[in-house]
Amino acid sequence: MTFLSPQFFCFFPVTALVYFLLPRRVRNIWLLLASWFFYLCAKPAYLALLLLAVVSTWVCGLLLEKQKPSARRGALISCLLLLFALLFVFKYLNFTLALAGRALNAIGFDFASPALDLILPVGISFYLFQAAGYVVDVHRGKIAAERSFVTYALFVSFFPQLVSGPINRAGDLLPQFREEHPFDYDNLRVGLVRFLWGAFKKTVLADRLAVLVGAVFAAPGDYGALQLIGAAAAFSIQLYCDFSGYSDMAVGAARVMGFRLMENFRTPFFSRSIAEFWRRWHISLSSWFRDYLYIPLGGSRRGTARKWLNILIVFAVSGLWHGAALTFIVWGLLNGLYQVVGGVTAPLRGRVRHALGLRDDGRVTSLLQIAVTFALFSLSMVFFKAGSLANALEVLSGMVHGPLWAFRSMGLDRLELLAALFGLLVLLLVDLRSLKRSMEADYLAVGRPVRWLILLLLLFSIVIFGSYGAGYDAQAFIYGFSF
Amino acid sequence: MKKRKELLFAAALLLTTALLLNFASDVLRPVRLDYGSTWSAFRAEPRDSLDVLYLGSSYAYCDINPSLIYAQTGLTGFVLAGSEQPLSITYWYLREALRTQSPRAVLIEGTSLFFDTYQNYTQINVGYMPFSLNKLGAIFTASEPELRPGLLFDLYFYHTRWKEVGLSDIQRALTPAQPDHYKGYTAIDQVQEGVGIAPYVGDRKVDPQVYAENLEWLDKILALCEENGIQPIVAFHPTYTRCTRETYARIEAEVRALDPDALFYNWSEEFESIGLTPTTDLYDGGHLNQDGAAVFSPWLGDLLVEEAGLTPRPQSENNAAAWTESAARWREFLAG
Repeated sequence: MTFLSPQFFCFFPVTALVYFLLPRRVRNIWLLLASWFFYLCAKPAYLALLLLAVVSTWVCGLLLEKQKPSARRGALISCLLLLFALLFVFKYLNFTLALAGRALNAIGFDFASPALDLILPVGISFYLFQAAGYVVDVHRGKIAAERSFVTYALFVSFFPQLVSGPINRAGDLLPQFREEHPFDYDNLRVGLVRFLWGAFKKTVLADRLAVLVGAVFAAPGDYGALQLIGAAAAFSIQLYCDFSGYSDMAVGAARVMGFRLMENFRTPFFSRSIAEFWRRWHISLSSWFRDYLYIPLGGSRRGTARKWLNILIVFAVSGLWHGAALTFIVWGLLNGLYQVVGGVTAPLRGRVRHALGLRDDGRVTSLLQIAVTFALFSLSMVFFKAGSLANALEVLSGMVHGPLWAFRSMGLDRLELLAALFGLLVLLLVDLRSLKRSMEADYLAVGRPVRWLILLLLLFSIVIFGSYGAGYDAQAFIYGFSF
Repeated sequence: MKKRKELLFAAALLLTTALLLNFASDVLRPVRLDYGSTWSAFRAEPRDSLDVLYLGSSYAYCDINPSLIYAQTGLTGFVLAGSEQPLSITYWYLREALRTQSPRAVLIEGTSLFFDTYQNYTQINVGYMPFSLNKLGAIFTASEPELRPGLLFDLYFYHTRWKEVGLSDIQRALTPAQPDHYKGYTAIDQVQEGVGIAPYVGDRKVDPQVYAENLEWLDKILALCEENGIQPIVAFHPTYTRCTRETYARIEAEVRALDPDALFYNWSEEFESIGLTPTTDLYDGGHLNQDGAAVFSPWLGDLLVEEAGLTPRPQSENNAAAWTESAARWREFLAG
């Protein structure tokens, strides 16, 4: 069951309605059962793993509070080892065995790596990170251990964020499960329009661009340099619309019931550097890595060289988090490297700007920096999208060699391209406006007719121009079931 | 007070959304005039004006031209059939049809007894039914589960037609449907090569359990007829794709066991007595073409009068004129 499945359109209204009708003391139990049902719909066997993560981290949290300081570190490490061992087995074991096999074969040993039949449990990378963040926060004394199993289990299992995040912090979300959430029309309005906006990004833009991107990446040799560059840029936008669309739907669904989830994106394509980009893209993961990996590694406190090394480590791990393949590691490292090079060359670039008479905060400088950041990120996305390093190199090579344009179909006809352009224009306008204003506050401030018009325009754009339904190759959420 | 006002506005928004979605569906759904499932034209027929309903599969809509039956006997009727339509869907068709019509007889073409639980045209057969409890019944008891989202929500199937939609589609959606001269019939003006030389005789393959389920659906149809005082007629039309005589005899016994009052006819071999010429009146091995239907339909009309005892019900002046015009139109068409 995904947010855009018919099942969810039955599940969610019933869940929300019953939630508000029930007495306060049983509401969390209801939400927990609903969340587990939501998860069971993916595959019943996965629930056992989720329960293991919930029980182990809940018990660990309680132990951390009760134990002497000397024993606390052991409990924390044991718990984290368990969580990351689970993640390793289900997500990285086959990859590690394959790598080991290739390495052994390269040095002359005859080793055929076994391909284990392990199916990646849905959302494991998200809920394990959320649970790990909780135990670390308890260990650090930032939050108190949660006494109620139901409240804690709901914190980890809450269905809007269970499968693809945002990876919420215990300090933000746990208290919300202790509060009463009476029905509120404004929450319903904002939540609904946010959900529809996410669905618009996913169905009108991401899944339409996916056709173009898929066609070009499947046969890069058949396309010209401009088409390959365009496809890489289109994939960046596709991924943004896909994942931020999912996050919008998660935030919107939670908001209808009165919960506020962490924002995951803040108009990242208006970033002026890769470092800034990563502060505005998948914020819940980036900040998780900052708080639980980068800072424990020493952050920027141990000198410049160590800071660059830490950044590279964090981004290599982040790449690995995104997928068990060398392409993801290269993608992560490349994004880390951009920041290292960006940091090293910052004084030089400043001098060049001054020599050219460009102000640091001038409009031209900003636009140039935004364009370069987008280009660099899109270039790295070739590794994210490509099925293998060879495929990525073929795409990159095609960008600089061969013809500029090859006259062949890119999967979308003229009207489909127009629909994509219309969607991009709307996205640009909304993102531009959201730089200066709160879209939620603006939406609530306008009159009812305008609110209805916005809601209906979004809904009808989705149901008419969206990519869904019969004869359509449904695109799973990119950050969905394979994470 | 404020709470009540908000609730009213929410209800108004929901209603507006539902109406607009329905309108968008009407615009984007392809128009359907023939090849079965012509529910718009059926719903446009004046209430309680039809004497006979012809149900079943393509054998019904290719072989029976209701306008020619009217010309011969004055009996009004409509072919409410669908391509490869299983009896399960036919049952829901009949239930839905009885909401606006009160036929005196229902003729069920029997080939669908051999169909699988799901055939190839559920999207059309169920999708074009007007939204009602009967459509929901058809969706949840007679349709493939994977088709249900689209059957419940038309745009799921047809929203990609936004690229083809023109002003005429919008005008059509805004204009109430009118009765047409097809009356559910589909005219085919071809004869496939080699057709009508020698009949193929052999039993159709069907899983025994599926056949038993088909009989159960037929039983429901017969019971529904009985409830509504309708004379059921189960028939096999003239065809060159036949079952063995033993099979037809067995089916007759099964139908009689379900309802002793039901009429059963096997016309599969009756080409000569009806006046059909196999080499010119068949479209393919199974179906009649428009010339075959022009011979078979009046013959069927006579049989309905003589053997089923049907008499035409009084019609309004306008409707009688419409039927007369429709019959004249078909005669002219066939003569030309």
